[in-house]
Parts: sequence; structure tokens; C-alpha cells
Amino acid sequence: MTGWVGRPLARKEDARLLAGRGRYLDDVCRPGQLHAAMLRSPHAHARIAGLDAREVAAIPGVHAVLTGADAAALSHPIRPLIPTAVPLDDWCLAVDRVRYAGEPVAAVAAVDRATAEDALETIRVEYEPLPAVVDPEAALRPDSPLLYPALGTNVLWHDVLAYGDVAGAFARADGVLRERFEIQRYASTPLETFGAIAEYDAGLDAYTFWTNDQRPGLTLAILADSLGVPQSRLRLITPDIGGAFGNKRRPAYLLVCALLARQAGRPVKYVEDRLENLGALMHACNGVMDVELAYRSDGTMLGLRVRDVADEGKNLISPTQHNLIKLGNIVNGYRIGAVSYEAYSVLTTKCPSGANRGIGKPFMCFAVERAVALLARRLRLDPAELRLRNYVAREEMPYTTPPGAQYDSGDYAATLRRALERFDYRGWRERQAHARAEGRLLGIGIATSVEPAGTNLASYELITGRRAASGSAEAAMVRLEPDGRVRAALGDPACGQGYETVVAQIVADELGLTPADVHVERGFDSATTPWLYLSGNYSNKFSVTDVGAVVGAARAVRDKLLRIAAHRLEAAVDDLELAEGQARVRGVPGRGLPLRELARTAYADVLGLPPGEPPGLEARHAHQNPLAQPLGADRTVRSQLVFSNAAHCCLVEIDRLTGMVRILRHVVVHDCGRELNPLIVEGMVHGSTVHGLGAALLEEFRYDANGQLLTSTFMDYLKPTAADVPDIEVDRLEHPSPFTPLGAKGVGEGGSIPAPAAVASAVEDALAELDVTVRSLPITPERVWRWLRGR
Amino acid sequence: MKPAPFDYVRARTLDEALAALDADSKILAGGQSLVPMLNMRLVRPTRVVDINALPGLDGVRARADGGLDIGALTRHSDVLTAPLVKERAPLLAAAVAHVGHRAIRNRGTIGGSLAHADPAAELPAALLALDASALIAGRGGRRRVRLDEFLVGALTTALRADEILIGIEIPDARGAGWGFAEVARRPGDFAIAGVAALVQGGRDRCDSARLVAFGAHERPVRLRGAESVIAGASASAALGEQAAARTAADCRPPDDVHATAEYRAHLVRVLSEQAVRDAMSRTAG
Amino acid sequence: MTVARVRLRVNGHAVERTVAARRSLADLLREDLGLTGTHVGCEHGVCGACTVLVDGRTARACLLLAVQLEGTEVTTVEGLTPPEGLSVLQESFRECHALQCGFCTPGMLATAHELLAENAAPTRDEIRAAIAGNLCMCTGYVNIVRAIELAARRLAR
Repeated sequence: MTGWVGRPLARKEDARLLAGRGRYLDDVCRPGQLHAAMLRSPHAHARIAGLDAREVAAIPGVHAVLTGADAAALSHPIRPLIPTAVPLDDWCLAVDRVRYAGEPVAAVAAVDRATAEDALETIRVEYEPLPAVVDPEAALRPDSPLLYPALGTNVLWHDVLAYGDVAGAFARADGVLRERFEIQRYASTPLETFGAIAEYDAGLDAYTFWTNDQRPGLTLAILADSLGVPQSRLRLITPDIGGAFGNKRRPAYLLVCALLARQAGRPVKYVEDRLENLGALMHACNGVMDVELAYRSDGTMLGLRVRDVADEGKNLISPTQHNLIKLGNIVNGYRIGAVSYEAYSVLTTKCPSGANRGIGKPFMCFAVERAVALLARRLRLDPAELRLRNYVAREEMPYTTPPGAQYDSGDYAATLRRALERFDYRGWRERQAHARAEGRLLGIGIATSVEPAGTNLASYELITGRRAASGSAEAAMVRLEPDGRVRAALGDPACGQGYETVVAQIVADELGLTPADVHVERGFDSATTPWLYLSGNYSNKFSVTDVGAVVGAARAVRDKLLRIAAHRLEAAVDDLELAEGQARVRGVPGRGLPLRELARTAYADVLGLPPGEPPGLEARHAHQNPLAQPLGADRTVRSQLVFSNAAHCCLVEIDRLTGMVRILRHVVVHDCGRELNPLIVEGMVHGSTVHGLGAALLEEFRYDANGQLLTSTFMDYLKPTAADVPDIEVDRLEHPSPFTPLGAKGVGEGGSIPAPAAVASAVEDALAELDVTVRSLPITPERVWRWLRGR
Repeated sequence: MKPAPFDYVRARTLDEALAALDADSKILAGGQSLVPMLNMRLVRPTRVVDINALPGLDGVRARADGGLDIGALTRHSDVLTAPLVKERAPLLAAAVAHVGHRAIRNRGTIGGSLAHADPAAELPAALLALDASALIAGRGGRRRVRLDEFLVGALTTALRADEILIGIEIPDARGAGWGFAEVARRPGDFAIAGVAALVQGGRDRCDSARLVAFGAHERPVRLRGAESVIAGASASAALGEQAAARTAADCRPPDDVHATAEYRAHLVRVLSEQAVRDAMSRTAG
Repeated sequence: MTVARVRLRVNGHAVERTVAARRSLADLLREDLGLTGTHVGCEHGVCGACTVLVDGRTARACLLLAVQLEGTEVTTVEGLTPPEGLSVLQESFRECHALQCGFCTPGMLATAHELLAENAAPTRDEIRAAIAGNLCMCTGYVNIVRAIELAARRLAR
């Protein structure tokens, strides 16, 4: 079944996006819609002693106001992913306490956003400030201010998970490398901010939401719980989404809109502005990782001990994701037989944490790859050689790591070798030596990583002790309409990954059509798109589950078409094929029926159907990736399912006088298995790598001791521009996964994972004469200057 | 992020603009600094006076004395490309190239930048190095203020609430060597620190220098210690370094989220050396 | 007055509106004129998503008050699109996969349009410098640069 899958087709969705005819959330206008604004706490931590919103109603153009007390009266608390030891209530607005600067305390709906913001200024809130806690290690201490005194701690999860003979590995070791690494808070900040429109139908007691939420399955569960309305009376629709990368979800905002809409009797739209987005939507966890790497003197890595403190901000709803993802990938691409992982998921009075591109893995990879680089330095081994000695070999695949991840396929050594070759590693080492002689500081950095796809929700049982959700699955629909044309829909809303094109390619191959013949629905509509709780855009899961759902649905339609054709043509099903828009007898050009004709039978002329065949040509299929398994008794689990891999080589030059770091080249060789659309795949590699470069050199959410965000606009929170990064050079290997229907693996997060480590190694290499160790990010010019000065 | 409400006056004449100004009003020229502050409600004027329609306030004109008159409403992108600027004040063109990005430069004005007086901005510093003067219109008439006095502090100038900056006068700088260097986190960002240099002299001697650092104090600051090293000195390869060694005393750089005072002081030193060297290589000889 | 009347031309059509003085050009275009192709990403002039052409020059629509546009000609992405199909620049973007989510694209196109109008054969560095004021979170810029290069070559013919 080859043909369209695998081709670098230009995208179907581009024509409308280029012409400005995309339809993003803020482009959707519902009749009579009002605009909401949110009043947000100026304090990082405070009791709300009083709130007076009575003046709001007097402002012309204001139609509804919602306070925390209203939210508590009108909705149920948002159910957390990880139940806490003591039940804690978290509503869509702060009720009696605020726990980060920017936390919403009230909301207003008015005829326009400006009026709503004017109205907010009349609301008087009496705050009694409490001490902030902004450092995660400080938040662990028994004397720390507590976000939830009833909990008695700021720690939402603490555990030590050990696999293999850790004590033995460390005892046998010739040496142990010990380092502490830190990573900053940053976020992928899609260019379109998050938003929603809620509409309430009083007659049906039903809600409709338009939103750029990337996890509709999860959000619909929360909405139903909190609004006390069954999902059958909720509808959630996603329009075009302007990037997501994990950031695009905040069910609380949908609840605020819903409650305002109900009060006002009109639809209510809320779109966060950029300051709200940067300060209050979500940040990837910052944190600290203490790493101990036990090794033999020949460089063989024997064991890994990690203490990982993840700073979740005020995230009661979905903490521990970063820890869990790091655990599942902790040995990276290496054959390390023993692992101990101590996790802390800690609350602080800062913006809530959330998923980000790479979610936890950029830090995991930074820590592990830095440790490997430092080990190479210590043993005076070439960093590439050290890696090659320790990689899981291609022949060992599928290979199960101590925590239970199964690396399905790949040749990590070949990936690295190709990267070094494409980079001209030897050549650049020579040029570097010449440059050094001239006083120039050139540096070369290498980093490699695995890139998982799919998340098996059973892994959360490690934390909660029970299984509420599990596996990794997605649903899709393929339908021939009565006019014989094809329509497909996917439970995973596209956020820029080109699903309208790739899904069309897959369906076209299955049905003997061209991608132009297959209309793929833009986005998600819970009324018509098949969906599961697990539906959504996360964890690189497209290749792992979505493809299977589409293939399954397409094949079901294909099989039915063939059965109907066989019946009408009086031929055997096995003698028939779908090609060029027909069902035809293989090798007999005249004997065939166009799909339109088969649709006529299926939908109109139903007496012509084979006996027992029901009318219609539509299939809905949900695909569960078979690799997902329940938690093992030894606490191993396949928390993620298939594994791509990549090697990055980075060349930097450092200005001796200013400390400025310039990235001269960045080469990526990656292997994501079968590339469904190489053009789209390469674009993902470019974009995800630049995310990593931004994290390495520019991006940082910095807080002061009082929990005030100092980098609160795009003037201070620095995103990489076209002038900051070079062309990303990309090459590929292709080791298909044996465990996905088309052999594809994940690719969306890819470059964001090893890129920061590659840059860090390059900078360290450039400063080799100074014996500098890069242990944290971002690498600012000032930090480099201090290294150059010797302190 | 929508502004608080304000009245809007689109002035057609200078007198109309001046009459509309009061303590609670803001002048709208390019808007590239004002409008973000309006959007964030960091400023809440009761009235915005749009001066973009005022005639005759834009343009670059040659002065008889060899200098330039630049209308306050001249857009950065026009300053950047004006042949007269390249010819008579290339330091200014060099500075403007660092201001934001094209879309910002198309709207932002030289007068707006000067009146806004961000301590890390390129233009006020370059103009100070050029010994420019601000031409100011008020209800009582006009006045001319040299930039040394015009730039008072961070975001503070000698402009009164009922005055409008209408032009900038740049004296003859032909034959002077110029240098401009800055460090910013990304191209187009505000500088962490920078130096604008203008050196008068010949091939063998430097007569005088004006060295201005930005991002190094509450306002663009003359590096007088460094200037005194250069004044009257014979031109040598080491002169830049010698001058740079004397910059610290004149700086009082801020500590902020992007850099410490110490790093900024260091940058002023290395950028001074570079700017002086470049300026010396450009003096007519 | 906190409202004012403004008359301008948008994509070749005469427009007259009375709007609040504080209303941005971006909001006028998007909400009053239904031209939602211009996107809002930051409202402080940094991200470039809202870049349009005013009298042929790029400008941030989020940093312009609608009332300021009196007597001007504004061109948005809708005005850069031919009645049928796509422009050479747009087609180059499509072929080179220079967009993923598409949110930055209208602003990128306006910036690229201005660049190519002034510089028919920009180098890669010149292209990168020109688009450095347009943030993209998806593409990593590589294909955008390629697309603009390709468009330049095609337009030169």
C-alpha cells in the first residue's frame, strides 16, 4: 500500500492559511458574544480577605461578573489528575487564597475586551499577603511557607524508584561522577494565545465551547465534572490552532466562560493576552537534578542515581508529569543496567507548570548528556567514542530499560556516526585548533537522545497507586459521503503538524485515491469526531495511535467497498483492488466501479447491497497501541511507547570580549522511523531544534524573591528570532518501528530534547582551556564572560 | 491588553497641538513606545495628542554650517536611508540601524525616541555624541536645548508637559571619525550597553572626542575620563585601550534581569575601545 | 472625544468608521472589517504577527490606533492575495513548507513583501535580518528563508 505516504507533499491546509483565511479561535464570532477579562492577583501568595465587585454592574456594557465565591457556588472543584492526601478544592477562580501572581480571582464579561478591563478596575480586593516561596529546594523544607496548609507539605509526590542492582553497580564501579544540574523555567509560547468561547443553551441545559485546547478528551471530562452536566450535553469544537506544544490547555478558563455565559445569557469569549500567557498559563518545570553516574574506567556506564526536584508552581491539577516522563527516559540511549530515581514534585508560589515541547526530557537529556560529556572529559575519552561504547545496539532492539521502557528499533551508533560525518567532525576539530591558535574560541558540542512517542496513562499508577486511565489510544472516522467523496476526522486536533495532509495521504493510499480527494476535517468537534478520554494532541502520539486509528477506519471502509463491489461485479473480493477512484478487478481494466457508484448502492439503492450488509460507508475506529501495558509488579512500566532517536552536533563561536555566543552550525541527524511526509517531518525537526536553541541561550522566566515575574513580556522573555539561529542541517536514518501500523515514530518534540545539551557542550568545549563546567541554562553572555574572567 | 479610555486630538497645526497639551496628556508620534504602554495601562493619559499630521516636522535638511536639521517626526527608516545623514552624520545612521526592526523603524520617529529617553536607546546617545540640540516649541515660543541638558534622567527630559520637540539640530561633524558599538541579546533589542564615539582630529593627533555610553547610567553619559585621554593625544594603536581603561568612573550602570552593573561596565570598556578605534580609523587625515 | 471618525482605504476599498480612540488598527481590521487574516500575538509590538502594510510600509497593527490611519492605504494579507490562487510569494511559502500553524504567516508575508520590493536578490543573511522582527514558534525559520529566496528568484524572472 505505497504511493502517497512517504512523499514530501506540500500541505493542503496551506492555501487558506497563506491567504489569511484560517479560522483561529479569536476569528470565531458567535452572535451576541461578549468578551471576558480576568482580574488577577498581584501577590504571589495571599489570603483574600474580601472582594467587592458591586460597582461592576453599574458600568455600561458589562453583562456578567464572576467571583471566586460564585465559582465555588456554581461549579464543582476541578478534579486533579493526582489525588492529594487530603482533598483540596481548586475552582476556576481563586476563592479564599491566591497562590501565584497572576492567579485569576474574578472575571467580567462585557461588550468588548476594553470595557471588560475597565470594569475589572472597579473591583476591590482585600489581600492579606503571605510569604512567597519561589525556590523548590526551599519549598521542600519543613519550615517553608505552605501553599496548602491542610496538606502539611508542598510536596505533591515524593518517591524513590529503583530498578536493577543499584547498590551493586555503584559498589563495582571504578568511579562515580557526581554533578548537580539546574534548568530554568521556560515555555514554548505558541504565537496564538489560549482562548475559548462558551455558549449556554438554557433550553437544553447544554454548553458549546470553541477553544484551541489541545486535549479535548481530558477537558471534556473536567468540564462535565465541574459543571455537573453529562458529556452528552457538552460540545467542544477546535478551530485552526496556532501552535500548541503542550501549552494549550486551561480547563479553568473554559469554566469561567461557561459560568459567565450562563449568567449573561450570551456567548462569552475569553482570549488571554500575551502578558497573561507568559505569566499565568503554564511554564515547563524548572528544577534541580542531582546525578550520580557509576562507571568503569573503560567508560562503561554501570548505574545511575538521580534526585530530581521539579518545581510545579501552583499546579494542583496536573503535577508530576515532568518527573514521570523523565523517569521513563532516564537512561537515554545508553545501556545502563541499574537506575535509582528519587522524584520530588513540589509546589511553589509561581505560575502553574504544564506540558511543554519535550516535557521534562530536555532537562533529562541535558543532565544525562552533560554527565556523559563530563565523564568523557574525566576519562580523557572522545565524547563520541564514550557514547558509542555505551549505546544500546541495534541488534539488542527491542531493548527494555530498567524502568521498563522498550526501545523498539534504531541504530543509535549509526545516527551519531552520520551526524559526525555530516558535521565534518574531524575537519572542524582541525579548524578549531587553528582558530585557537589565532585566539578564537570555537566549540563543538554533541548530544544524542531518544525521543519517545505516546504516553501510557497506566504509568500514573506509579504515583497514585491506582489505575484510572491507561494505555494510549486515539479514534478516527473515515466516511464516503453519499456523493462518493471521502471525509475523515481525527480525535486529535492539529496544531500545525499538517494532519489534514498526512491523514489524507494515509486514507488515499488505503482507498486508491489522491490526497486531494480526501477532505480531512479541520480540528475536533465532539459532536461528530470520534473521541476518547485519551483523545488529544500530546506526547508525540500521532504515529503511535492516530495513524492506527485512521488506518483502521480507512481499511474498514475499504473492506466494505470491496465487499459491495464484489457483490455488484460478481467477483471474488480477493480479485479486487481500489485504485484510481474505483474498485476494479485486478488486471482487468474494464471491470470496475467508481466509488461514487458504490456509494450510491450503499446510501441510496440499498437493495443492491450484499445480503446482511448494512447501508452506509462510514467507519469509526479507535486504535490502542499494543505496547502499552499495565504497571508491572516491580514498578516497571512502558510509560512511553515507541522511540525515535537523534544526534545533534553544534558549532559555536564565543566572543572573548563580550561573552556573546553565536551558533555557527547545527546539524541534526534523526531517525523517526518511516517518514509519512518528509517535508513535514523536516519542518518539525527545524522548529523543535530552534525551541531547544532558545532554551539554551535566551529563554528564562525569572522571579524575584517575592514571586513577581521579572520577565513578563516578549521584551524580556526572549524568543529566538531568525537572526539568532543558523540553518538547521538535517539528515535522516530510517529504522521503522515494528510496533506501529505504518512503521512511523514520533517526531514533534525531537530537536527540543538534545539541542540544549548540544549547545551547552559546545560552549564548554569552546572554553576548554578554562576548565568550565556548564551545569545550568540559559547560557547568557554575562555567564560566559564570568567564566572567561575566571569566576 | 486594551488601553484605558482617552480623548484623542488629531492636531493639524502646531498651535493646535500645543493648546491640547496638559499634564495628563501624551503626545503620539510614532507610537512604538507609547502604545505598548497604553496597552499595558502603564500610562493612562486622559488625552492623546496625535502630531503625525503636523506639517513640516519631518525631513532631513542640510544646514549652511555643514550640519543637519532633522524634523522630529522623521521616521527612523528615513533617517537610516537619507543620503544627507550618510554623508554628514553617519554615526546616526549606524545607531538607527540597531533600533528595533523594520516595522518599528517605519513608524518610530527620531523625535519620539529622543523625547522618550530610554537610557538603553541608541539614538539619544548618538545624538549626544554628535553634540546635537533639541528644538522645542511651547506656547511661549521656541527654545533650543543642547542634549547634555535635554537628557535629564531615565525616561526624563527637559521637555515640559506643554511642549513639543519639533526638531533636532546636528552641528557640522564632517571629517570627524565616528564609531558605534553595542551589545544586545538579540539584533534589534535594546542594548545591554553601547558606546557612540565621535573623534575630531587628523592622522597623527586627536583633538577631541565625545564618547557617550548608553545602558550605562540613568541617561546616556559622556565618558569624560576616556575623552580626556584622547583629547590632544597622538593617535596610536593603544589609544583606544587607554581611553577604555578610564570609563568605569563615569558609569553607573543598572542591575536588572538582563545583566548586572559589573557586566555592563565591562561592556562599556570593551565597546569604548572598539568605538574609539573605529572612529580613529575614520578621521580625515 | 473618546471616539473619532476615520476614513482610510483597506486593500483598495474605501472604509469609514467611527471608533473608540483607543481601538487598535488590528482590532478595527479583525472585528470591524472582518479581515481576520491579521493576527494578534502580543499587543506590544515584538512578535510581528500583526504586521501589515501602511502606505506600502510595514507597521505593527497592534501599535497603531485605528484613528491614526486617516487618509492612508492599508494592505493586509487579504490584499496580498490575488483573487484566484496564491501570489508568487505565497506559492513559494507553500512549496517550501514555510508555515506550520500559520499564525505568523500573514505578518511574515507582509515583511517579505516589503523586503522583496526593495531588494530583489536578498542574501540569506539579509532575509534573516529582515524577518528577525517576526517571531515564529513552529518552523525554526529555515523554510521561511528558503521560500523568500525562491520567491525572489521567481519574481526576478
